[in-house]
Amino acid sequence: MEITIRVNGQERTASVPPETTLLTMLRANLGLTGAKLGCDVGDCGACSVLVDGEPVNACLMLAAQAAGRDVLTIEGLGDFQELSPLQEMFELFSSFQCGFCAPGMIISAKALLDKTPNPTAAEVREALSGNLCRCTGYTKIIDAVMEMASRGAAESERA
Amino acid sequence: MRPFEYLAPSSVEAAVAALAEHGPGARALAGGTDLLVDLKHDSVSAGLLVDLTRIAECKVIEETPDGLRFGSLVTHTQIMESDLVRRHAPAMIDAARTIGAVQTRNLGTLGGNLVTCVPSLDSGPVLLALDAEVTIAGTGGRRRMPLGEFFVGPRKTALQAGEVLVDIVLPRDSLGKPCSFRKFGLRKGQALALVNAAAATRLDGGKIAGVRIALGAVAPTVIRATRAEAALDGRSPDPTLIAEAADIAATEAKPIDDFRASADYRLELIRTLTRRVLNEAIETATS
Repeated sequence: MEITIRVNGQERTASVPPETTLLTMLRANLGLTGAKLGCDVGDCGACSVLVDGEPVNACLMLAAQAAGRDVLTIEGLGDFQELSPLQEMFELFSSFQCGFCAPGMIISAKALLDKTPNPTAAEVREALSGNLCRCTGYTKIIDAVMEMASRGAAESERA
Repeated sequence: MRPFEYLAPSSVEAAVAALAEHGPGARALAGGTDLLVDLKHDSVSAGLLVDLTRIAECKVIEETPDGLRFGSLVTHTQIMESDLVRRHAPAMIDAARTIGAVQTRNLGTLGGNLVTCVPSLDSGPVLLALDAEVTIAGTGGRRRMPLGEFFVGPRKTALQAGEVLVDIVLPRDSLGKPCSFRKFGLRKGQALALVNAAAATRLDGGKIAGVRIALGAVAPTVIRATRAEAALDGRSPDPTLIAEAADIAATEAKPIDDFRASADYRLELIRTLTRRVLNEAIETATS
């Protein structure tokens, strides 16, 4: 079946069988390999993307269910030449070692900050509870998000 | 996943017709957080998936003459963010926020949670405690039943082949009824309940009136502790009475030993959580 999804602001179309997950379509058909295939059952969050602004497990959504909707992947933030401010903050805090969880972690953090610009540490932990990191640990990840929030708040006060 | 065909009808009637036409190989798809996992593991098979997530009627929370109506495809996040739910049945929000994690709450639906019908389903106890009813649609039309009759066994509901769950209604009498929910899991995030519990009650002249106690993960389905309820109704709440009721509730449950917890530990949890939810509901009713 032919499926058109708005991915990172662009209409993208692929012809895929109905059993194709959104994650497979992004990675195999559209070449967007930022979102990772981890557990494949919705526990680890490595495949997290935003659909209409809300984080979901792309491994648990059929591509057909995303047809006509807005999808944001990590590729829609920054790139190696120009990281987004949130990505820069994770780099500054050395939040990642292997980086496998990073795309999902950053996407979930973005979803939180879009909705709740000044979260408490508890809210950050709750928002990231669907994203597992198995090497660095969560402290530096949570610190990066908290710092991003406080800088964002400082900027909006200046503006 | 093995190949299947896919349809995304825009009405309940079209979904029911598609399921009937395709026969036993057709499955209804809601949020997919259970069904897609089962399909990946090959523990269920499907020749056709009928995706219900594009049916507008099933995606709204609204106040109707009957009460508060939840379309079966309402997500857990929608419940958490609904002003109507906050006003009329805030315990449903307390339950929804304990389900899965953000991503699965954005995908997973209330109806899907009920249809999967695992004993630990977190949206079950509050709905049972508030006397929820469900509407089922099949080729012969629609029928209504109490949620308690919808739960038949582990992963087994009253849905017949080709039927879909349309909505869940909290009757008008239950709106605003003081209700409390507690869940005990092994972690804060993404944990199945070892035990979950809800209690709802009103006070009539200081006496407990219309009390409901519902328990999850302690029997083949979410259950009501009706003998404990009977011990409470019409009496003035005091700590001894509440403790007695909690002990009775534990005798009504049949928890199992598994790798998460022993049956004895679960019995202890039932007593503790039942006391807590009763005390909280009574406190809300008093204030």
